[in-house]
Amino acid sequence: MQRRSWAEPFKIKVVEHLRMTTRAERERAIAGAGFNTFLLKSEDVYIDLLTDSGTSAMSDRQWAGMMLGDEAYAGSANFYHLESAVREYYGYKHVIPTHQGRGAEHILSRLCIKGGDVVPGNMYFTTTRAHQELAGGQFADVIADVAHDPGADHPFKGNVDLDKLARLIEQVGPSRIPYISLHATVNMAGGQPISMANAREVSALCRKHGIRVFLDATRAVENCYFIKEREPGYAHKSLAEILRELCSCTDGCTMSGKKDCLVNIGGFLALNDDDLADAARNMVVLFEGLHTYGGLAGRDMEAMAIGITESVQYEHMHARIGQVQYLGEILEREGVPIVRPVGGHGIFLDALGFLPHIPRDQYPAQALTAALYVDSGVRAMERGAVSAGRDHGTGETHFPRLELVRLTIPRRVYTQAHMDVTAESVVGLREQRNRIVGLKFTYEPKHLRFFQARFEPVEGSQVLCDPGPA
Amino acid sequence: MKTIIEPFRIKSVEPIRMTTREQREAILQEAGYNLFLVHAEDVIIDLLTDSGTGAMSSEQWAGIMRGDESYAGAVSFYRFQDRIQELTGFTHILPTHQGRASERILFELTGGPGKVIPNNAHFDTTRANIEHSGARAVDLPIAEAADPACRHPFKGNMNVAALEQLIADVGREHIPLVMVTITNNSGGGQPVSLENLRAVRAVCDRHQLPFFLDACRFAENAFLIKRREPGQAGRPVREIVREIFSLADGATISAKKDGLANNGGLLLLRDEALLYRASNLLILTEGFVTYGGLAGRDLEAIARGFEEVVEEDYLSYRIRSVEYVGEGLCAAGIPIMQPPGGHAIYIDAAAFCPHIPRGQFPGQAIVCGLYREGGVRTVEIGSVMFGQGAHLELVRLAMPRRVYTQSHMDYVVEVCAGLYDRRDELRGLRIVHEPPVLRHFTARFEELPVPV
Repeated sequence: MQRRSWAEPFKIKVVEHLRMTTRAERERAIAGAGFNTFLLKSEDVYIDLLTDSGTSAMSDRQWAGMMLGDEAYAGSANFYHLESAVREYYGYKHVIPTHQGRGAEHILSRLCIKGGDVVPGNMYFTTTRAHQELAGGQFADVIADVAHDPGADHPFKGNVDLDKLARLIEQVGPSRIPYISLHATVNMAGGQPISMANAREVSALCRKHGIRVFLDATRAVENCYFIKEREPGYAHKSLAEILRELCSCTDGCTMSGKKDCLVNIGGFLALNDDDLADAARNMVVLFEGLHTYGGLAGRDMEAMAIGITESVQYEHMHARIGQVQYLGEILEREGVPIVRPVGGHGIFLDALGFLPHIPRDQYPAQALTAALYVDSGVRAMERGAVSAGRDHGTGETHFPRLELVRLTIPRRVYTQAHMDVTAESVVGLREQRNRIVGLKFTYEPKHLRFFQARFEPVEGSQVLCDPGPA
Repeated sequence: MKTIIEPFRIKSVEPIRMTTREQREAILQEAGYNLFLVHAEDVIIDLLTDSGTGAMSSEQWAGIMRGDESYAGAVSFYRFQDRIQELTGFTHILPTHQGRASERILFELTGGPGKVIPNNAHFDTTRANIEHSGARAVDLPIAEAADPACRHPFKGNMNVAALEQLIADVGREHIPLVMVTITNNSGGGQPVSLENLRAVRAVCDRHQLPFFLDACRFAENAFLIKRREPGQAGRPVREIVREIFSLADGATISAKKDGLANNGGLLLLRDEALLYRASNLLILTEGFVTYGGLAGRDLEAIARGFEEVVEEDYLSYRIRSVEYVGEGLCAAGIPIMQPPGGHAIYIDAAAFCPHIPRGQFPGQAIVCGLYREGGVRTVEIGSVMFGQGAHLELVRLAMPRRVYTQSHMDYVVEVCAGLYDRRDELRGLRIVHEPPVLRHFTARFEELPVPV
C-alpha cells in the first residue's frame, strides 16, 4: 500500500435521505426525460454529480450564520461581514454582492465591453462567453494548446499562452481589448489550474498595454491548492497567502460563491478601481438589488462570508481535492480513459476513447451519461457536441476536440462509499461498453440546446441494452 | 374589534440596538442624509420597506431546511410550481432571484425605443427597467389618486378613459403591453378594484393588447377588494386572487412581499413564444429554469409563504395593523394618504411641512427628522425618488410583515407626533451627489439653513 488514507476534516451533522430506485424505474425515468439528465427529477437521482455549483453541504457555523441573517433592505450587517471577508482573503477594495456568479458577469460585461471589442480568455465558459457576446464583444481563446489534449500531462494545463496573447494585442490593438478574463481553474478544460508564474506574466503583459485583468475566481482557492502542491516556492505558503498573491495580479474578479465559497446561492463582483466600482453599484441596483444586498437575502451573505473563511483552510481543500483524486485514481487504475491530470472539481471521462463504436453524430458522451444513470442512478453531464451546439452561420453541428462526460463532485456531500459506487458503475460500463447505444435528437432547442434537448436511441428503446446471448 | 390579535406567536427574536440622538445625528451626517446609506444596526424601527423584511413562519424555516439544492429538477422547484399554479392558474412559471429580475427580462424582451408602457403607476425599479430598454413609462392613475385626503376605496385604479386616449394617441402597435400594479405602491399602497381590472382587460381585448400585472401585493389587494368592493364580501380571498390572475396574460411578482419570503421573484406568462425567449434570457442572466437564481430552500419558503398569505386571519391582522398606525397618526393631526393602504402608511409631506418647497424635498426632510427623533427609518416617495415625474410628496412607513408588535407601532406614532409638533424646525435639503439612475438609493444630501 503506497497510498495513505485521509479522512474528511468534519463529521456529519444533518443528512438528506436518498431514494433508492430500481433499474426498471431508472429506465422509465431516463426515457421520460428524453435521455437528457438535465430533465430528470432530482428525486429519481441516487448520486447527483451534475454540477458542483450550489450543491455543497454548509457547515454548522454557516447554518448558524443563516439564523443571523439581517434582512434589512439597506446596510445589512451581513453585507459588512461579507465585504470584510472578501477584502481580507481576496484583497480587493470594492465588493458588490450579486445573486450568483452570472449576475457579476452580466454587470462586468455591460460596463466594460463596447461593440467590436475582443475579450481574451483561457478557454471559454458558456455563460461568460454569452455575456461577452450580448455586450457586443467577441471571445478570443488564448489558452495554451496543451489544454485541448486530454491525454497530455502538464501541471498547469490552464495556463495562458503568452505568445498568443501578445499576438492578439498586436493584431487588434490594446484599445479594443477592455480586459482579459483569466479563469482559475479552467472549467471547460477539466478543472485545470494556472500557475502563479503565468498569472504574473499575464498581468505584466496586460499592464504594459493598459489592459485590465479580471479573474474568474469561482474556483480560485482550488487553483491555489494546486499551486501549493505543484509550483516551486509555494509549498510552505498558506492557501490564504497564495490567494492574496494570485488576486494581486488582477484588477478585480467575478465570483460564483456556489463553488469555492461553499454556499447554495450567491456571488460577487470585486473591483479595485473606484470609478468602475461606482458605475457597477449604479448598475447592480437596476438588475440585482441595492448594492448592500445585490439580490441576496442577508442570511446568504452571512453564509458566504463564513464559507470564505472555511474555503482557505488547507485541511478542507486537501480533503476536497483528495476526494476527486481518489475517484480519478480508481478509474485510471482500471483503464478508464479520462482527462489527465485530474482537475479540482470533477472527473471528465473521454467518451470517444470509452465508446469507440459509437460515431460522433450519435453523441457518445450523451449516450454514456444516460447509460450511467440507468446503470446506477449516478447523474453526470454531457460536455461534448450536444453542449457545443451548432455553428451560428452554417447550421452544422460543431464537434469539439473533447467529447466528455463530466462527473462533478459537490463539496462535503458524498462519502468515499459514494465514490466507490460511482467508480464501480463506470468501470462496469466500460467492460460492457458494446451494450451502450447511440442517440439521436427528437427535440432540439435553438439556443443552449443541452439544457432541454430530447433524444431517443438510434435502435431499440434502451440506451443500455440487456446482455444478449453469449 | 379594536385590538389586533396576531394569528401567531413568536418563535425567534432578533435584538434591537438602541442609539442616542447624538449618535443618530452623527450617523445621518455620515450617510449624507440618505437613510439607504445607514447601517441597519443603527436603526431602531426599520420601516424602510416591506420587501424581504418579513418574519418567516416555523413552517417556512422547516422548508428552508428541506431545500433540495439540485441544479436541475429539484423537488423544491416542483413543490413551488404546483403551489403557484394552484394559486394563480398560470402554468408557465419562471422563478427569478427577485422581482426586478422578472421586470428586466420582461422589458428587455418587450420594451425598446419607441415603445410606450402604461401602468396605473409604475414603481421605481419598473420605471427604471422600462427606461433602460429605451421605452417610455406612462402613469395613468385616476384623478382621485392626486388628492391625499380623498377617501376613494380604490385609489389604485387605472384611468380607463386615459388608457383609451393613450392607445389612440400613440397607436396600439407601439404599446407592447398594458400593466397594472396591485396594490399601487407609488400611489399609496392603494388597491385596484376587480371592476377596474375587468375594464382594463376589456380595453386590452378590444385592442388586442397583452395585459400584465405587477402583482407583488396581490393578496393584500384581494383582501381589500373583499372588504371594500360591493358584492365581494362573501367570497374567499383565494377565489378573488384566482379571478385577478385569470384576467391577466402575465405577471411579474416579487416574492419578498406577499410571498412572505426574504428573497425571490416570479415571471408568469401565457404566451409560449415569449416563454421560450424569457427562458433563454433567464438561463443566461438568472439561472436554469428550475431554480432561476434561487437556492432550493428559497423556493420552499416561497411556496409555503404563498399558502400562508391568503389565510384570511393573517390578512385581517395585516390590514388592521396598518390601519392602527394610520388611526394613531390621524389622532395626532398628521396628514396622511387616505384611506390607509395595504402595506404602509404614507404621510403627506407637502401638507406636513408646507414651509419647505418641493425643490427642497419636504419628504426627505421628514425622513431625516423621524430618524433623528427616534431612530425610525422610512423612505421618501416623491421628488427624490421620481424627480420631476413625482405626483405627490410622500413619506412611506412600510410595515414589514409579522415583525413588529403593537408596542413598536405605538412608539412610531409617538415619534411622528413629536416631530409634527416641532415641524417648523424641519430643514430642506439639496443634492450634493447624484447617480445617473435610481438616484434615491445612493444620492447624498446637505441640509439647508433653517428658513426664516
